Amino acid sequence: MTNRVAIVAVEQLGPEECANDNVRDLTFRVSKNLLNQVGLKREDVGTIVSSSSDFWQGISCSNSVYYDALGAYLKNSSKTEEDGAFAFIYGAMRIMSGHYDTCIVHAITKGSEIPGLSTLTNLYADPFFQRPIGLDDVSTAALQAMLYMNKYKITEEQAAKVVVKNLGNALDNPYAHKKGKFSVEDVLKSRTMAYPIKELDCATYSDGTCALLLTSEEKAKKMTKNPVWLRGMGWCVDHQFFGDRDLLDGALRKAARMAYATAGIKSPSKEINVAEICEPYSFQELLYYEQLGFCGEGEGGKFIDKGNTTMKGKLPVNPSGGVLAHNPYVARGLLRIAEAALQLMGKAEKHQVDGVKTALAHSTHGLAGQHHSVVILGK
Amino acid sequence: MAKEEARIMEGKVSLPYRWALGPVFSRFFDEIKNKKIMGTKCPKCRRVLVPARKFCPRCFEDNLEWVQVSDKGKIRTWSMITFEFSGQPKPPPYICALVDLDGADTSLSHFIDGVDMTDLEKVRDQVHIGMRVEAKWSDNRQGNIMDIAYFKPM
Amino acid sequence: MARRAAIIGVGQTKHGRREDVNYVELIYEAVKAAIADAGISPDDIEAVAQGSMPSPMEGVNANHLYWADAMTAFGKPLLRTATCGSVGMSIAHLATYHITSGMFDMVLAVGAQKMFEGDPQGTMATVADPWFQRWFIAGAPGVFSMQAHQYMYRYNLPEERVREAAARISVNHHDNAMDNPYAHLRFKVTMEDVMKSRIIAYPTRLMDVCPSSDGACAVIFASEEKAKKMGRKVAWVKGMNYAGDEHFFGDSDKVVWEAAIVAAKKAYQQAGITNPRKELDVAEVYNPFTYQELIFYECFGFCDFGKACELVEDGVVLRGGELPCDPSGGVLCTNPIGATGLLRVAEAALQVTGRAGDRQIAGAKTALAHAMGGACQFNGIMIVGSEL
Repeated sequence: MTNRVAIVAVEQLGPEECANDNVRDLTFRVSKNLLNQVGLKREDVGTIVSSSSDFWQGISCSNSVYYDALGAYLKNSSKTEEDGAFAFIYGAMRIMSGHYDTCIVHAITKGSEIPGLSTLTNLYADPFFQRPIGLDDVSTAALQAMLYMNKYKITEEQAAKVVVKNLGNALDNPYAHKKGKFSVEDVLKSRTMAYPIKELDCATYSDGTCALLLTSEEKAKKMTKNPVWLRGMGWCVDHQFFGDRDLLDGALRKAARMAYATAGIKSPSKEINVAEICEPYSFQELLYYEQLGFCGEGEGGKFIDKGNTTMKGKLPVNPSGGVLAHNPYVARGLLRIAEAALQLMGKAEKHQVDGVKTALAHSTHGLAGQHHSVVILGK
Repeated sequence: MAKEEARIMEGKVSLPYRWALGPVFSRFFDEIKNKKIMGTKCPKCRRVLVPARKFCPRCFEDNLEWVQVSDKGKIRTWSMITFEFSGQPKPPPYICALVDLDGADTSLSHFIDGVDMTDLEKVRDQVHIGMRVEAKWSDNRQGNIMDIAYFKPM
Repeated sequence: MARRAAIIGVGQTKHGRREDVNYVELIYEAVKAAIADAGISPDDIEAVAQGSMPSPMEGVNANHLYWADAMTAFGKPLLRTATCGSVGMSIAHLATYHITSGMFDMVLAVGAQKMFEGDPQGTMATVADPWFQRWFIAGAPGVFSMQAHQYMYRYNLPEERVREAAARISVNHHDNAMDNPYAHLRFKVTMEDVMKSRIIAYPTRLMDVCPSSDGACAVIFASEEKAKKMGRKVAWVKGMNYAGDEHFFGDSDKVVWEAAIVAAKKAYQQAGITNPRKELDVAEVYNPFTYQELIFYECFGFCDFGKACELVEDGVVLRGGELPCDPSGGVLCTNPIGATGLLRVAEAALQVTGRAGDRQIAGAKTALAHAMGGACQFNGIMIVGSEL
């Protein structure tokens, strides 16, 4: 990596605040809070990259409506679409180029305003072959889960443990939307959406936004004693035809390999202290343990059975509650990075994991994770 | 002081579309009307891609050979859908699946039917990964993917 | 910028009404052409940067996922940007940052649109916020006609004079398109044709306005190391910038248009350009509407404010002039919006590397490419040159 990139500050707005306001004014609030936190003015910021989605917003050219709310008036600000992690990746590249030394990255989604997750994700499918079959986020996750269960004998109970863990963790996250003490029984008894996916196996629709301040190494050292460093990032996309894809070994392994290579990580399960993973469906968290190299192929179920990924486990996953607890679809990818950064800064308060030196943030979007990204942060 | 109430404004965006098929998909659907399922074979990797494509996404080659694949195959994965959403092709319950047709190297997404869908347990008795299925052709074929009405257990 | 990037190959489709291909195949056509032009293999592409107008335009959400295979992106890093009409430039900037960040040496940029498959004006109306502006913006013609009117009255210019200058631009660009085998509209028009054509939104007439097109553009960016191995001229990225206004159309002046002025100014600084009119050999200016092009000439410093009509009347910006604009025919003759801004970059690259065929401006070494987006909200610039 040519120039180092640091995260010096993180801001997010909670679901209640987001429910009552529009995307423009919420963007202003989170951006202004970020500037206030570090004592900067709008003029001091070099560039801004935001992530949002036209379909999710019902307002096309989605950043147009909130451009000036980012403080971007007459600035060079761009927009990446569909994944909050994209904003981070692009923002980091702008810093790495040496062209800018400060960059605000931002993402926003108001899940409460949309026609429906399935309606919008059904629109990912091509109109000729896959849309008429109703392929959407939920049905494709179910098709993937069936394969996963069939090949490795993963059980619905093991998947349910993800729900119990994450919604339980969310009780200690004031910014999470859905939280509570659930049992495996609760999950198994919830309404079947698309077998084997049940209602509690699914993420909800949430409103959320966050903003992070990225800086060059020089700037970071002037601004804080506690910068979080970008150690590596990778991202990757799979085939468009659902039937072309290896649903159990797709783009995530490649994205992770790319990130680990730059970060110099050889043994992820040993070297990563905490992971924030996008798990819109419970089964996927287990599969993603494997693809991220936390455990061997087919061992995702056993990995959670051993309690490895609880708050007290050897590799806590989703101390924030993850996407099952809070799913502002596009913003969720940037929220994973924000939460990972907070862990490293020691600012995760009630859901802080001890002794974090290296954190992983993962994001995914597209049917059954057609696209994945992995970001490794360190102290 | 009374709490300010934030209001909600409702709206709808409704847009019409007319999608071009291109000659490859057009031919695929012409053949489907004749109860033939066609794939295209990549000269480099030799994989047969179904539905037929203009190019191989791995080799990026477009000199593909048309081959017919069977209308019989096995279920790679399936799920029964029991929830509703706006824009859904039909009201639930219905079963969607990926089918590996004999002769094809990619899976085709379609419906499974010809099974009792009154409850999930019954379905799980009748439908399995790896199970052999065959196309049930529509009587009234229009030249689209629904010319195959569904795949049914053999 | 410490690390340098260059354009080593470009590809585009034949633009127009392309019902002979589906959306994915349209992309494939442009990408294949770019790969052939650069003389590389698909595996050499390390990452892909994509963009387009809003997904509702063709009714497929997150179309980077839809186009993935056609862009060689399977198993590779892929990012999507979307900034309305300026997206083509945003894609070019995004691809450049992939290189200048040091992360990649060879990146493919792809932009496209298939406007005949949807309702473009209906889609564009959804750009305006639903709370205040959506009823009144009347799509693109409404906004740009209001801007045109402002321009005429700001400088106390007789309407007839401005109308004639705009018409002259139209005649010139339609002429230029005759030399561009990829252009959508390829027919000559006379001054009378333009000035008597049907009024769309006063004062804009049919011949003052761009078409809706299907089309795709692919551009390959490379690091200095890879570019120097090409063994032929490449188009170095010498400067780039972008600036945006507020969302509300009424918040800023769109005649002395700061977003356009600032975008150009910083790009010129990076490229070491102090006198654009003299130092630029050719400019591909984003011009969906003839009147708007007059405003861009002024904001980009080709002449003083209020003097764009003279620039046209003296032939400075026409073919054969000192600073010919849009030798490709520009947006006025070809407008697959997601590709359009990237086409400006591609055309600029072809010009400075001497590969623009019949539309080549002799001896061109430095070119400006520009794209505009939103309801007069965004402007992006890239300066390319054949010499470092």
